[in-house]
Amino acid sequence: MSRWVVRRLLTSLLTLFFITTITFALARVVPSNPAVVYIGPLARPAEIARVTKELGLDRPLYVQYVDYMRDLVHGNWGTSLATKQPVLGGIASRLPATLELILVAMAMAVAVGIPLGVLAAHRKGKAADTGARVGAVVGISMPVFWLGLLLQVLASQWLNILPPTSRQSLDVAVLHPVTKITGFLLVDALVTGDWSGLQDAATHILLPAITLAAYPAALVTRMTRAAMLDVLGQDYVRTARTFGLGERLVLWQLALRNAIPSTLTVVGLSLAYLLTGSFFVEIVFDWPGIGQYATNALLNLDYPAIMGITILGATAFLVINFVVDVLQARLDPRVRLQ
Amino acid sequence: MRSRRKLWIPAAAVAVALVAASAGWTSTTRTGGSTELLRVASTAQVTTWDPIKSFSTEVLYMANLYEPLVYANPPGSSTAFRPGLATSWSRTANGTTWTFHLRHGVTFHDGEPLTATAVKDSIEAAATRGAASFIWAALKSISTPDSYTVVITMKAPTRVDLIASSEDGAWIVCPAALAAEAKDAQYFESGKDCGTGPYMLKSYSAGKQVVLTAYSHYWGGWSGKRYSNVVVEITPEAIVQQQMLQSGQVDLALSVPLENINQLMKTGKYRLQVRQSTRNYVGFFNTTRPPLNDPLVRQALSYATPYRDIISVGAHGYGTQARGPVPRGIFPWSAATPQYTTNIAKAKALLEQSGHGDGFPMTLTYAAENQDEARYAPLIKDAYAKIGVTVTLKPILFNQQWALAKGDPKKAQDMFLLQYWPTYSDAGSDNLYSLFHSSAKPFFNLSYWKDPTYDKLVDTAAGITGSSAAKAKALYLKAMTILYDQAPGVYLYDMKTVLLTPKNLQVINATNINYPFVTFFYAVQQVG
Repeated sequence: MSRWVVRRLLTSLLTLFFITTITFALARVVPSNPAVVYIGPLARPAEIARVTKELGLDRPLYVQYVDYMRDLVHGNWGTSLATKQPVLGGIASRLPATLELILVAMAMAVAVGIPLGVLAAHRKGKAADTGARVGAVVGISMPVFWLGLLLQVLASQWLNILPPTSRQSLDVAVLHPVTKITGFLLVDALVTGDWSGLQDAATHILLPAITLAAYPAALVTRMTRAAMLDVLGQDYVRTARTFGLGERLVLWQLALRNAIPSTLTVVGLSLAYLLTGSFFVEIVFDWPGIGQYATNALLNLDYPAIMGITILGATAFLVINFVVDVLQARLDPRVRLQ
Repeated sequence: MRSRRKLWIPAAAVAVALVAASAGWTSTTRTGGSTELLRVASTAQVTTWDPIKSFSTEVLYMANLYEPLVYANPPGSSTAFRPGLATSWSRTANGTTWTFHLRHGVTFHDGEPLTATAVKDSIEAAATRGAASFIWAALKSISTPDSYTVVITMKAPTRVDLIASSEDGAWIVCPAALAAEAKDAQYFESGKDCGTGPYMLKSYSAGKQVVLTAYSHYWGGWSGKRYSNVVVEITPEAIVQQQMLQSGQVDLALSVPLENINQLMKTGKYRLQVRQSTRNYVGFFNTTRPPLNDPLVRQALSYATPYRDIISVGAHGYGTQARGPVPRGIFPWSAATPQYTTNIAKAKALLEQSGHGDGFPMTLTYAAENQDEARYAPLIKDAYAKIGVTVTLKPILFNQQWALAKGDPKKAQDMFLLQYWPTYSDAGSDNLYSLFHSSAKPFFNLSYWKDPTYDKLVDTAAGITGSSAAKAKALYLKAMTILYDQAPGVYLYDMKTVLLTPKNLQVINATNINYPFVTFFYAVQQVG
C-alpha cells in the first residue's frame, strides 16, 4: 500500500511537471506580447519596452522557464498580467465560489441519480426505467450552457421565482455582507446565523447548481442502474430473497452497497469534470468562480493566470483519481492497490 | 432502511432549499426609492488602479474617483469646455502658455487641500511615467506662481484645454499617493485611490466587483437624490447584463445587446439615450505588397464595401457611415470629407483597370471577442466575392491579431479590422496621426502606408491647432481627402453610444462623447 502511494505520488508529480512545461511552452509560442497584455494595446513602444524589461520578458525563454518553476515550487504562481494581482491569490479568492457550486451540484446529482438508478434497475423495462433512461440521455446530451439558458428563461423570465445570475444580490453583498469565515457563502451564513444572507445565497445557487448537476446526475443514474442490475442478478441476492429478506432491505442495503463502488468512481470523475465543466455555467450565470477567472485569462492571453488554472485543474484530476482509487480499495475488498 | 433514509435526506434538503429559495427571491428584489446603493453592470475591467498609468477600461472608475482641470463638453454645447478643478483658464496669443486658476475649497480623499503644486506634480508624473504620456509630449515646463495658479508652457502652440480634459493621463492625484507611487510602482494596485472626485474606492475584487462610496467633502456637494454607494458588477457578457437589468438585479446595465434594444423598449420600462461616440471602425489594407499596394485596387474594395449592411448588422443601426478615420462630432471631422458609396459596377471597373479583373485571394483578421466585427466581417467577405476577391476570414484574439500585425508587414494580414478612439477629443493629432502617419516601425498604422504629402499636412496642422484651429482643420481636410483618394483603409462606420436606463433613473449628462468609456455616477439621480 505505502509503495503504491509513493509510486502514485511520484507519477503525479512527474505528470504535473510535464503539464506545466507543455503549458508554459504553448502559452509562450502563441503570437501575443505579454507586455502589451500587461500595459494595454494602446501603450506606446517605449512603454512596452519598459514593461518588457520590468517583467523580465527580454530574457531567454529557458531562463524565464527556470525562474517560473523555481517560484512555483516556492508557492509563487506569478502575477496576473491582466489584474496585476498574484495568481495564487486570484485563484484562492475564487475557488470557494466554484467549490461551493460544485459541491451543491454534486449533492444534487447524487441525491437524484442514485435513487433514480436503483428505481430504474428495480423496475427494469417498465415506465419508471424508461423515464430514468430517457432522462439520463437528455442530461448527458444537453449542453450545459443551453440548459442554463433554458432554466434562466423558465425560472427567471417566465416564472420570476429565481434570480438569473450572480452569487448573491448586490444589496446583500455591499450593504449587508455575509461575514466571511470559510468563503463558502452558504456555510458562512449558516454558521453566523445570517438567515437573510443564507436565503439570498441559496436562491442564487439553485439555477447554476441544477444546470451543473444535470450531467453527473445522468451519469450516476446510468451507472447505478447498470451496477444494480448486475448485482441483482447475483446468486447471493437470489439467496437473500429466497430466505425471505424484504425487498427494500435487499435493494437498498444489500444490493446498493455492492453496487456503490462503481458509482463512486463516476462520482469521483464527475467531480473533476465539474471543476472544468463549471466554466460554461459560470459564464452563463455570471458566477464569480475560477471559470470566469480562466475565461478572462484565456481571452487576455494572460499566461501566468492560464498556467495557474492549468496547474490547479491538473492537480484536481490527479488528487481526485488518487482518492477514488483508495476509496474503492476500502469499499471493495476485491480491489487491491498494487 | 437506515441507508434509504440517509439517501433521502439530501434529496429532501434540496427540495426544501428550492422551495425556500424560490419563496424568498421576490422579497429580495428591490422596488426602488433608496439612494443608498446604485447597482451597475459593466464590462469595464481594471488593468490598473494607478491613475498615472491608467490607459484602459478602468477609466470608468477613474473618472468617478479623480478629476481633470477641465471637462470637454459634447458638441452643440454653449461652451466647448466646462470647469473641472480649474474654474477659469486663458492662453497667450501664440497658444504656447496656458494659465489655469484652481477651484478653492477642494480636498483630496486623504483630506489634503488641492494646490497648484499637486497639479504640477500630477501632470509631470503623467508626462514622464504615464501610459498616455505622449499627450504631454509638447510640455516644456509648469510653474506655480501661487497656490491656486498653474502656468503650463508648451514647446509649440497646443490645445492644452483639450489635453487637460483627456480621459487618460490628465487626472489630478494627491501628493502623498504620488510620492508613494514614485517609490513603489505597485502602490495603487491593491485598490487604493486618492483623487478629488465625488466617489472613493471602497473595495475591489479583481475581475468581479468594484464598490465606490461617496466622498462626503466633495466640493460639488450631495444635494438631490444622488447615490451614496455604487457597486459595479464586472459582467463581460452583454446578454447577462440584460438579464440582470430585466430581473431587477441591477439598476443600470452599461452594455445591453444592441439587437435586443427594441424588444426591451417595448416593455415601456426604459428610456433610450443614443449619442454619437468617438469610436469608429477602420479596415486597414496592407499596402506593402501586390495587389493591395495599388490604389486602384484599394479604391475598388472601398466601392465594394457594403456600408449600409455593415451598419445594419454590425451596429444594429446604431452607427453612421464614417467619413475617414475621424469620428463624427469631434475635431477635425468635416462633412466636406468625401466618402465612398457601395457601387459594385464601379468596383469591378476599377479592378479591371488595375489589371486584377480576375480577382485575388486575401486574408482578413479581426478580433474574435469583438461581437460587432464578428457580425459584419462575413458581409465584407460576401461583398468582395462579388468582384472576384476571395476573402479568408481569420477571427483571432485581439492580442494575437495585434501581435501578428506588428510583425513583418510583408507576412502580415491583407486586411485588419480595428475599432479605434482618440485618447482625447482631437482626432487630428490622434486618429489621423496614429492611424496613417508614416513611421519607421508600424504602431497603429497597420496599412503600413507612407505618403510624405499626407505626413506634412498632418504635422503642420498639429503644430498650429493650438493657435489656429480653423486653419488646422482646413489642412486636416486636405489630409483626409488624400486618405479618400489613396484608400489605405476602408472607413466603415462611426459608432453610437447606446444607454438604456430604467425610467426611475435620471442620467442626464452622465455620458459624454468625449469620455466614451465613462458614466459619471454623480450625475445619476433617482426620479421622484
